[in-house]
Amino acid sequence: MTTAAGSLTTQRALPTQEKTESQFRIVMRRFLRHRMAVLSLAFILFVLIVSLLAPLIATFPRDYIDPSPVTAQGLPATKPGPPGILHADGRVHWLGVDHAGRDLFTRVMYGGRISLTIAIFVMLLSETLGVIIGAVAGYYRGWVDSLISRFIEFVLSIPTLPILLIVSAIMIKNDAQLPLPAFVTQALGAVFLTRDAETNKLIVLMLILVAFNWLSAARLMRGMVLSLSEQDFVQSLRAFGASDARIIFRHLIPNGMAPIWVDASLNVGGVIITEAALSFLALGVIDPTPTWGNMLDQARSYMFQNPWLPLVPGIPLVLVSLAFNFFGDGLRDALDPRLKR
Amino acid sequence: MTAYLIRRLFQMLIVLLLSAAFTYALFNYAPGGPLQGIRQQQQRISAQDFARLRARFELDLYGPVRFSRWLIGWPNGPIYFAGREWFANTPVGCYIFNDATGVCEDYVYLAEIPEIHPAIRSSRGILRGDFGQSTVVRQGRPAVDEILSRLRPTLELMITSTIFALLIGVPIGIYSAVRQYSRFDNFFSTVAFFGSSMPTFFFGLLLILLFAVMPVFWEDRLPWLLSLPPGGREGVRPYEIATWLPRIEPGSIVDRGLRMLMPVTVLTFTGVATWSRFVRASMLEVLRQDYVRTARAKGLIERLVIGKHALRNALIPFITILVLQIPNLFAGAIITESVFAWPGMGQLFINALNQNDYPIALAFIFITTVLTIMATLLGDILYTIIDPRIRFT
Repeated sequence: MTTAAGSLTTQRALPTQEKTESQFRIVMRRFLRHRMAVLSLAFILFVLIVSLLAPLIATFPRDYIDPSPVTAQGLPATKPGPPGILHADGRVHWLGVDHAGRDLFTRVMYGGRISLTIAIFVMLLSETLGVIIGAVAGYYRGWVDSLISRFIEFVLSIPTLPILLIVSAIMIKNDAQLPLPAFVTQALGAVFLTRDAETNKLIVLMLILVAFNWLSAARLMRGMVLSLSEQDFVQSLRAFGASDARIIFRHLIPNGMAPIWVDASLNVGGVIITEAALSFLALGVIDPTPTWGNMLDQARSYMFQNPWLPLVPGIPLVLVSLAFNFFGDGLRDALDPRLKR
Repeated sequence: MTAYLIRRLFQMLIVLLLSAAFTYALFNYAPGGPLQGIRQQQQRISAQDFARLRARFELDLYGPVRFSRWLIGWPNGPIYFAGREWFANTPVGCYIFNDATGVCEDYVYLAEIPEIHPAIRSSRGILRGDFGQSTVVRQGRPAVDEILSRLRPTLELMITSTIFALLIGVPIGIYSAVRQYSRFDNFFSTVAFFGSSMPTFFFGLLLILLFAVMPVFWEDRLPWLLSLPPGGREGVRPYEIATWLPRIEPGSIVDRGLRMLMPVTVLTFTGVATWSRFVRASMLEVLRQDYVRTARAKGLIERLVIGKHALRNALIPFITILVLQIPNLFAGAIITESVFAWPGMGQLFINALNQNDYPIALAFIFITTVLTIMATLLGDILYTIIDPRIRFT
């Protein structure tokens, strides 16, 4: 894999403006040939737009409890109630209501917004962290590298789920509040559309997920940098007296990004599932804040009378996770056809 | 090799100590802490009673002392050396701590440990297999007993599904590699793709929906449908899975088998997805090697090339990965067990976490780590034995 990716970078080692353009166009063309990947990208964009517009599309406030939903015939409906029941004032619960009487269509959109935002932020943070750590390890080698590599190897070898569960159980169940600057909480709160206390919990969860997610990016980047620094252009950069930081950030990292893009898109799918799993086990995002994971957890108690209930959050969850995997797959084929499975 | 082994064992010990310290610190110094659960349960509590409770969980002792007692069961009283007691009056903890003033009102001295901590005086430390007592899930019972009682159901589930996954996944992987890009290969690539992006908990819920919930709903229209029991390991009372079949007695082999069906399916499916991909990749790698071309060039029949020359070499990395599964067999499938209410290790762990039962959770994580470290070493050693091309120095 390193050799294949290495030859990719030799093409990019002498970039003229025109050359990079055509490189980009080649990648685009290869990507567009991958039908499922394009379809997935469209689906991802659709879900992103819907969840961004959630407050406009939703017909109910997020946590609004319908005191007495009615069926289409005007009879009192049960809670959880099936799709198509009505609010007393005539508004429709498109996907029904949950056990408390909250509108599921609204909550699935807000839940998607939270799940996707968590996944994307976690991906951005962990790829950045991983890329920097991996590049440093690969560039300096020696004890820095062996320390980092041993650590990564160890963490990747232990079953991470139990540790992840323990950390989130301790932090989240005990209401660990991080002393974050108010603007961070408020900025993220504006994206999540959550209150400050909720946002803080979500940030704690995100940081926990980041702590377990930067490893693969670090390993990939380390490999790329190891092979790149053997090449002549790094030697010549050194001869010109470029600083280490300049070599790493301006030359090695940009040239080694190809596998990182793929890792990033697969990572989003992985984080969505991990977060959903944590919330499903009641150790992630906790109730009034909706996510697909904790909606599934609640659905599980009522599914024997309401079999449609788990499908409401479950189907979008599976589709989005599949879409990110297809997208990553297409990206891999496009960035380097030799990496094709 | 000996030097390598000694170095590896030494590294193992360090990693073990570090991870023990890390998990211990996590449980004891994270916000909330082990007393959170008790504080929630019993709101009004006098200072004396609270001190006694703290003492029961050794929370009165200072961190390093507590850690050392947890790890190796020492110190458990004054130190006798050359016929004399040493350090008997060294404060090792704080019995009553005044939150308001931040001053310690009553210290614990080394000599007092046996008297204040009589229940745990016999603690031998986790390195010798004593994980303390469960605080909530099964109050007062040794955590390790509770864990061992869950070992059987977990192993039952994990071993069955691992065997099935291997029996199905390995041949699929081999055949996909041999016929790369054939219809067979493409089909199972897609299946594996779905398998890796399908969250196990939703897959489990779907199975319950299809085989336990829907048959009850469609009873009028499709009365011949089988309705499987949705969870658990053993029934409580006799039940019917279909009107045209005899009743099933709880605890019978049929009952056990029926209840294993769905969890094993979930685990086998994910297992097949991983194993077949792995074997396929490793086999493709080997098929590209020169010695395979040589074998073909000298006119060996394809079956021998694949079976004897390629497969054997392709399975070398596979064995290491297989060994690395040992800790997973123990740790169980946390999510699957939780979905199907399977009374195994994973569910115990989740219960312990949800109820703040720290000794059990700590014991679980520690045993898993030890098993992982040992499995890694075992895998590496097996590697050198099986593959003479690899030498560790």
